[in-house]
Amino acid sequence: MILATSLAIAAMFAAGAYLMLKRDLIRLIAGMILIGNAANLFIMASGLRRGAAPILPLDEPTADPLVQAMVLTAIVISFATAALALALVYRVYISHYSVDLSRLSAAEEQQAERDEPMTEDLRESVRDDTDGEASPDGRHAREAAIR
Amino acid sequence: MPALNPQKHAGMLQSGARIILLPSWVIAIAIMLKGYADVGDGFSAGVIAALGVLLQGLAFGTDELEQITLSRIAPILSFVGLGLALLTAFVPILFGENLFTHWPGINEHAVHFGVLEFITPVVFDIGVFLIVYGFCVGGLHAIAREEVRQVRLRDRGRYLRSTTRGGSLADESGEVRL
Amino acid sequence: MIAVPIAVLWFGGFVLAVLDGTRKPAAWLSVAVLTSAILSTMALGITVYQDGPMSLAVGGWSLGVGITLRVDMLSIVFALLSQGVLLAALIYEVVNGVGARIYPAVVLFMGLGLTGLVFTGDAFNFYVFFEISMISAYVLVSYGESPRQFRAAFVFITVNLLGSVFFLIGISAIYHTTGFLDMYRIRDQMPLVQENPAILSATIIFVAFSIKLGLFPFHFWLPAVYTGTRPSVAAILSGALANIGTYGLIRFGADIFPRELRQAAPVLIALGTASIIYGAIQALSRHATNEVLAYSAIGQVGYILIALGIGGPAGYAAAVLYTVLNSTNKALLFLSGSLRGWLAGAAFAIGAFSVAGVPPASGFLGKMALFQVGIAEDRPMLVALIFLGGALSFVYMFQLYRRRTAEIEAHGSSPWGAQVVVVMLALVILGIGVWPDPLLNLVERAALSLPEAQVP
Repeated sequence: MILATSLAIAAMFAAGAYLMLKRDLIRLIAGMILIGNAANLFIMASGLRRGAAPILPLDEPTADPLVQAMVLTAIVISFATAALALALVYRVYISHYSVDLSRLSAAEEQQAERDEPMTEDLRESVRDDTDGEASPDGRHAREAAIR
Repeated sequence: MPALNPQKHAGMLQSGARIILLPSWVIAIAIMLKGYADVGDGFSAGVIAALGVLLQGLAFGTDELEQITLSRIAPILSFVGLGLALLTAFVPILFGENLFTHWPGINEHAVHFGVLEFITPVVFDIGVFLIVYGFCVGGLHAIAREEVRQVRLRDRGRYLRSTTRGGSLADESGEVRL
Repeated sequence: MIAVPIAVLWFGGFVLAVLDGTRKPAAWLSVAVLTSAILSTMALGITVYQDGPMSLAVGGWSLGVGITLRVDMLSIVFALLSQGVLLAALIYEVVNGVGARIYPAVVLFMGLGLTGLVFTGDAFNFYVFFEISMISAYVLVSYGESPRQFRAAFVFITVNLLGSVFFLIGISAIYHTTGFLDMYRIRDQMPLVQENPAILSATIIFVAFSIKLGLFPFHFWLPAVYTGTRPSVAAILSGALANIGTYGLIRFGADIFPRELRQAAPVLIALGTASIIYGAIQALSRHATNEVLAYSAIGQVGYILIALGIGGPAGYAAAVLYTVLNSTNKALLFLSGSLRGWLAGAAFAIGAFSVAGVPPASGFLGKMALFQVGIAEDRPMLVALIFLGGALSFVYMFQLYRRRTAEIEAHGSSPWGAQVVVVMLALVILGIGVWPDPLLNLVERAALSLPEAQVP
């Protein structure tokens, strides 16, 4: 039983880690959920004992109730986190029509270019640029200035 | 996600969903109440009740969820639930008792009604039930409603939109971070 | 009595979640709730200071059956620190105009999580409160809703969720090896546990808290998030949320795994050193204010880790003291860094000099304490390292200050209300620097509440 549980945990963790490396936000969240559930299974494994429900009076050997209480709590928490993350993905989707992280980065850069004359980062890099320092920010600044 | 076009869906699902709505609530309440003598609690009851209601949305579309009172008031229910749970946890402090103290206490006589016991933990569990139900239904309903609204908006003004907003995102300049 | 601050914050958060936080009365109500939570924590602190640690088993169950709440001076110091930073950030945001209706409620819930986790005596309950504050942080990071904030939020959620999972695994490992969740019982049981499982659980928990803290090998998420969020959120993350990491390391390290902590001391000191040097060098090479501050935060936690590695009453006291000073400094710098005007400029300067360790700003106290510990333990290399780190932080903070003053001359001024808030915070920091005795006394008492520190 321990072997089966640990194999299941390992498989879930591996699958979750693989999905988390994806750029697609939905897969990222699926990975998060899988890893969270692998952890839940790990808790179950830490008190793996067969038995009846532990309700008074105790006649026969009971299962460990604490582990189940912990897992239930952890499930609720990962449920809440997943819901929050999905809501965030949804906001991203509404405003960018994409759930791809690289798209989000591109949009961020575009907005940065639009806002840049206002932000402080740029002013600094512009000044540093004129000082003769070449920084990535400075290059952007120059591009923006040319435009 | 909930169906945008209910006509496409099989009548089987729709009639099944209708039939299951009431029993799901009965089972949920039973699970919640029997938690005091047997296996069961407010959390699983809340999930079951929420699934019953959400199935209606799946079968008949999100507009149907608006029609069902229990789904319209879900956000309010979750707040009521949180309030109930917090009150049972913290009110004992006002009486100089310990946090989460319940009445009647351990090994004291409780009023029975059949197998039901009237003790304050029941109130706490009803609170948990309401939070879980309200969160599941309210959250999914809010997202689904918004989704449907967006899709309808897009269908209506697709060609207007495609020139402005979609276009500005199309060119992928800039390096990828993260 | 113990439950009062928690109750105030929880009910306050509940009421504010219903109200519209963008309206002035609701926003000021949240300030009032947080203030009353701080006052009740102070009252509790006075009792604990006079009568020693208090504990309470929830629901009137016997100790060991029910979940326990336990308060000692260490908890009080951390609770007051987190609540104070949250209050400053909340007032700052309220004065500037709250942008989202849930912002005040989320700040209160975060306060609840941070207060709860330092008040609890149960390892799993610790995790629950920890997650309450993390979920609030996830919401806060996306506050602002520009692409930048969204991307920061995703980086933050992904990394910190992994951290939470590690922590959960660590707790269930502890439960499996000791059979208890109550921290006192775990502590009594831990010496009987075999060495390998104990080291494994200790390492997992160390990794979990290091991710929260942004220590050197686990820092990669931190700059992206701190530069991507709004100033008040960055102040909350670095000044309040990062305290979870420090408190966790002290509580779990010095309280539950003292044997493993002593074994790991060389590793801790090595990691701390790497963190200090890496943070300082990166901060030197950056230009944007928030980026410099983010890397500076990575460097500063290195000192805390070194103090922990040295250990003993003086080492733990230095770690707690450094945390208090670092959190207030970072909160002040992040808040004042985005403002214009000479008042905000002065406040920023005080914060910058505090980080650099120039008296009379409070930052030099932490460096002094570390020096003393290093000299007392006869470790010249450490003293040299602390001196080097201090010198580097002086250089990058001075660069930042020079850039900022050049800017302030060129631009208009921000609203007065926000400037007054940061000036108040700066005055607190100056006040601590000028009259440090009360804080030093508190910190010493906090370190003494750890069992390992009592044994000479």
